Amino acid sequence: MSDPAQDLHALPPREFLEHVHSFEFWLGSVQGYLAGRPYGHHDGLAEPAWTDPERDRLVTILCHYCVGETMALEGAGGLIRAAPNRPTKVFLATQTVDEGRHLEVLVHRLAELGVADPEREIERRTSAELIRFRDRLLAFVGSGDWDAALFAQNVVLESAEFAVFHRHARSADPITREVLLGIIKDERRHLGFGENELGRRIAKNPALHGRLRAVRAELDPLVLGSFERTLALLGTPAAERSELGRDYLAAVERLGFA
Amino acid sequence: MKDFLDGYDIQYWLESAPQGYLKNTEYGHAPGEREPAVLLEDPVLREQAIGVTVQLVVGERCALAASSGLINAAPDEGSKRFLATQTLDEARHVEVFTHRLLDLGVKQNELEDVIRERANPNLVKFAELLLEKVDRKDFVAGVVGQNVILEGMAFNVFEMMHAANREANAKFAHTLSGTIADERRHVGFGENRIGSLIKEHPERKADVEKLQREMSYWMLATFGAQLRQGPSPEEVKQRLAARGVAPSEGAATWQGVRLGDASPAELESALGGTILKEFKIRLERIGIEYQTPVAP
Repeated sequence: MSDPAQDLHALPPREFLEHVHSFEFWLGSVQGYLAGRPYGHHDGLAEPAWTDPERDRLVTILCHYCVGETMALEGAGGLIRAAPNRPTKVFLATQTVDEGRHLEVLVHRLAELGVADPEREIERRTSAELIRFRDRLLAFVGSGDWDAALFAQNVVLESAEFAVFHRHARSADPITREVLLGIIKDERRHLGFGENELGRRIAKNPALHGRLRAVRAELDPLVLGSFERTLALLGTPAAERSELGRDYLAAVERLGFA
Repeated sequence: MKDFLDGYDIQYWLESAPQGYLKNTEYGHAPGEREPAVLLEDPVLREQAIGVTVQLVVGERCALAASSGLINAAPDEGSKRFLATQTLDEARHVEVFTHRLLDLGVKQNELEDVIRERANPNLVKFAELLLEKVDRKDFVAGVVGQNVILEGMAFNVFEMMHAANREANAKFAHTLSGTIADERRHVGFGENRIGSLIKEHPERKADVEKLQREMSYWMLATFGAQLRQGPSPEEVKQRLAARGVAPSEGAATWQGVRLGDASPAELESALGGTILKEFKIRLERIGIEYQTPVAP
């Protein structure tokens, strides 16, 4: 028989949620993959011999990621006030610092690539679709609309980032790949939280599903438009670009939000 | 300013807190540490411990709401990232002090009622005032209220509580020492960031001073009310002796006051004196003149 003290999944539902949303759980989760990787990667990984256009393309892509992570940081922080109970507030605090760390490692990567003023560069290279997505997300957060804001943040935005980072990591240089893989590990936790929290709320209130579908219909074009731009910058052939969109749509559907 | 914020980045925080002084702890203390049996057995001492811990939870909930809310109001990306670390620090404090309430025997389903019923009204008033500034996205007022007044003043209280518990309750003392280490960072950020903002916006000096006067009142009123509650030093000694707890060899002292013997008035005086002395120095560094609040 399972020992509840040893087996997390043997805990009663309330205690299970309390545990997996805690600072202690977060600390145990991140210790393994952050130790020894200051600013997201091991020291000593070799920087490729970039040509100027290659470096410039990567800088633009990372600037887009920084916009995504800044909105995720502001969104997660802003959601804490709207969260319905202490464990969800604590989880969102762990997510807030994860998003802040993602922003920090990406800004640091920009500096490694020779960008002298990352904040100015990020602002200069931001895409219109991302700004519109950010405005909608922060409007949901600002209005204290827990369901819509959590869906936009932890399902739509996190699924989009997960799909992009995953695909980019496959072809990235060793330093960027390690940075992205560390971010992906955090995002799995964030996606799981969104799926579980919203899943429970939909089970109690099935009408919520229709409402979230409408939010998704509004946000999907902004996500897909943003992908199009990022993939073009990555040099992905047009025929392959739709694959990323499919990755994203499949991820959202896998989470039960078809 | 860039250089100052470099010392407050998430990498530094990860290395100093989660991978530093929090390593090998659980809920802020060493694994296996327990509340002293006498605290759980004596109803008066237990009630006193619950009352104090409730104020810690209320203060930390306020700090969590304020620091997370200020991320969106921060004028630069470095401050946003620092506030992300502060948000998680405050959430951890909420978690460890809530856990202490459960360790003291408060039932999970009674937790919110206990917190609501026993929250000090002065502290609740302070929280309302601070969160009103945060809701208006007033970064300067929010950071002054949160990182300079709330954390700056609470810092001394935590130090006093740490001195009182170092020998008597190692579990609670360890929890407090991690909290104190976090707050030292938060106060440092507040001083540096607000100092630079006041230099950039001298027109804010007068309303920040007014805010300090108003907010300090509620904090000092909270400390005074808490110190005047609970059993007298003599009663505490009698209750400990009745359960066979011998007085510790070295009496706990803080700022020259023997904590086990001091009356509430003596404690209030020592605490008030220390808080105000350090608080005035801190405000001077920021470029703010201390405004004396009306006596609580």
